[in-house]
Amino acid sequence: MARVGAILRALALAYRRDQKSLESVAGNNFFIVSALLLQSAGGFIYLIVGLVLLFPLSTDPLRKIPASRLALWPIERREHWLLRIVSPWINPVSWAIAGLAVWAARGKVTFGLWGLAAGLFAVGFLLSDLSFISTQTVWRLIPHFPGPLNQLIRKNLREMLSTLDLYCALLLSLSALVYRTMRLALPPEGFLAITVLIVLALSSYAQCLFGLDGAGGLGRYRLLPLRGWQVLAAKDAAFLLVAIPLTLPLAPLAATGAALVALALGHEPSVARPRKQTRWRFSSGASLVFGIFQAVMMTMAAAGIFFSSPLVLIPCVGAWALSVWHYGRVMERLFAD
Amino acid sequence: MSQQYCHNKGMISCRNLTRRFGEFTAVDDLTFEVAAGAICAFLGPNGAGKSTTVKMLTGLLPPSSGEVEVYGIDVESDPLELKRRIGVLPEDLGLFDDLTVEEHLLLTGSVYGVERHETRSRTSQLLHALSLEHGRHTFAASCSHGMRKKTAFAMALLPNPRVLFLDEPFEAIDPVTSRIMRGLLESVSRRGVTVFLTSHILSVVEQIATQLIMIRKGKIVWDSPIADLPQALEEHYFDLVEAPVVEELEWLGSARS
Repeated sequence: MARVGAILRALALAYRRDQKSLESVAGNNFFIVSALLLQSAGGFIYLIVGLVLLFPLSTDPLRKIPASRLALWPIERREHWLLRIVSPWINPVSWAIAGLAVWAARGKVTFGLWGLAAGLFAVGFLLSDLSFISTQTVWRLIPHFPGPLNQLIRKNLREMLSTLDLYCALLLSLSALVYRTMRLALPPEGFLAITVLIVLALSSYAQCLFGLDGAGGLGRYRLLPLRGWQVLAAKDAAFLLVAIPLTLPLAPLAATGAALVALALGHEPSVARPRKQTRWRFSSGASLVFGIFQAVMMTMAAAGIFFSSPLVLIPCVGAWALSVWHYGRVMERLFAD
Repeated sequence: MSQQYCHNKGMISCRNLTRRFGEFTAVDDLTFEVAAGAICAFLGPNGAGKSTTVKMLTGLLPPSSGEVEVYGIDVESDPLELKRRIGVLPEDLGLFDDLTVEEHLLLTGSVYGVERHETRSRTSQLLHALSLEHGRHTFAASCSHGMRKKTAFAMALLPNPRVLFLDEPFEAIDPVTSRIMRGLLESVSRRGVTVFLTSHILSVVEQIATQLIMIRKGKIVWDSPIADLPQALEEHYFDLVEAPVVEELEWLGSARS
């Protein structure tokens, strides 16, 4: 137990250093919006979403210990499980959510439902504990692209394919496709809503474009004779190559506008405040406030294109191009310092 | 493009190079030159300022004061042109987890403007020369440290640079590959390529270096052609840089845990 105590103390210290401001409270746009939408469906569902997905998969404190180091320590299996169970409670947001759960569920929830919530919570952390899933064969099938940025775009696509955001968006896209194939009636607003949700599912990744490159990858960018805008363009190309096809059954033009706005805004945190990400987790954006702002701007752009005119896409492209140019220069300055 | 840069003097030339981190001076007033075709070994203990110096020479870290020219290019004023002219094996190797060994080399060729056919040809030759053929489709994340280092070394060579900066190239490398790498470096230096390397493996350094620079606490304590060494390299290093002190730790290996 002393070993577990020592590890938890070190973990709490490391976690506290990472939680100095509201900015560092991790958030994923899709879940922020889903949570808002689900409120009307009942507080308990909202809490389950929060408990099972947002915190275990995006802000797991145990991730602060390198897997190789954890494997080297002389920790018994039961101690490992104890760490697994106790470490989430280092995160103060877990306590807040648990408090909310108890408050929201008072007098309404049976023991069975509590059991279900606890089970889902445990599954969430078990998923979080999975090691890297072997996908090398699939990764090699990524197509080639013309131009000198070919391999960078392929690499960026592979990075996107190893986040859960993409699979969440894929699930939504497939659902929409099935809905349309079965010729079920869907009001025009529905097309837009699902389109925006799909891009929202991906948009947190736009805030942390360099999160999966690792120290080695970031070092290599500094060595390559490329301009900052080229590095950003390779990132954005991968993002658009995922976002646009996923919305083809719905409103691809509106999706393109929303994706460009997501990228234009996401460049700032991606370049100036890079946030390390973990594979097979949901992307963790710059901050809750920034995520809401990004989501609102994306929705406005998509709605403008969908309801007013495709010409609204022009300012979206302009804003994106300006952002790539500006943050490309910022990147070069950061590389030089 | 290369014609516009004069390199009659040293291919690497630094004057009064200094780097401070707050109150701490990591590199203190270094002045040295490395001639075309030289293999310069930059030696010193851990924390002496070797990697900081390499970062400044390659434009990755701005100096606090002093001047650096590499291949006649002012490192601070034209970093992009500098990057096109040099090959670097960085301390952290600089590999992307999501690219295979071969893809790293193809990426290098395309961003350095090497023709596609030539890139493929050089890639095959480098993979063969460095015994990387069997792992060419392995992702960097799954490679051994040795394979990763060989990949980063091949990336440094592929654009055929005029100056090579190698941060600890021989560490964690098997003896056969180490011998091959030495052979490649000797071969490129005979063709006028300048090699600037750091290493802790003095036996290898003694065999390939033509110039030695030793630093201690950020200051140069020795700079000469290797032929001018007054004694064996290891002894000279211990005398000038750091003498080993072997202390007896009584608890180590004793019965108590």
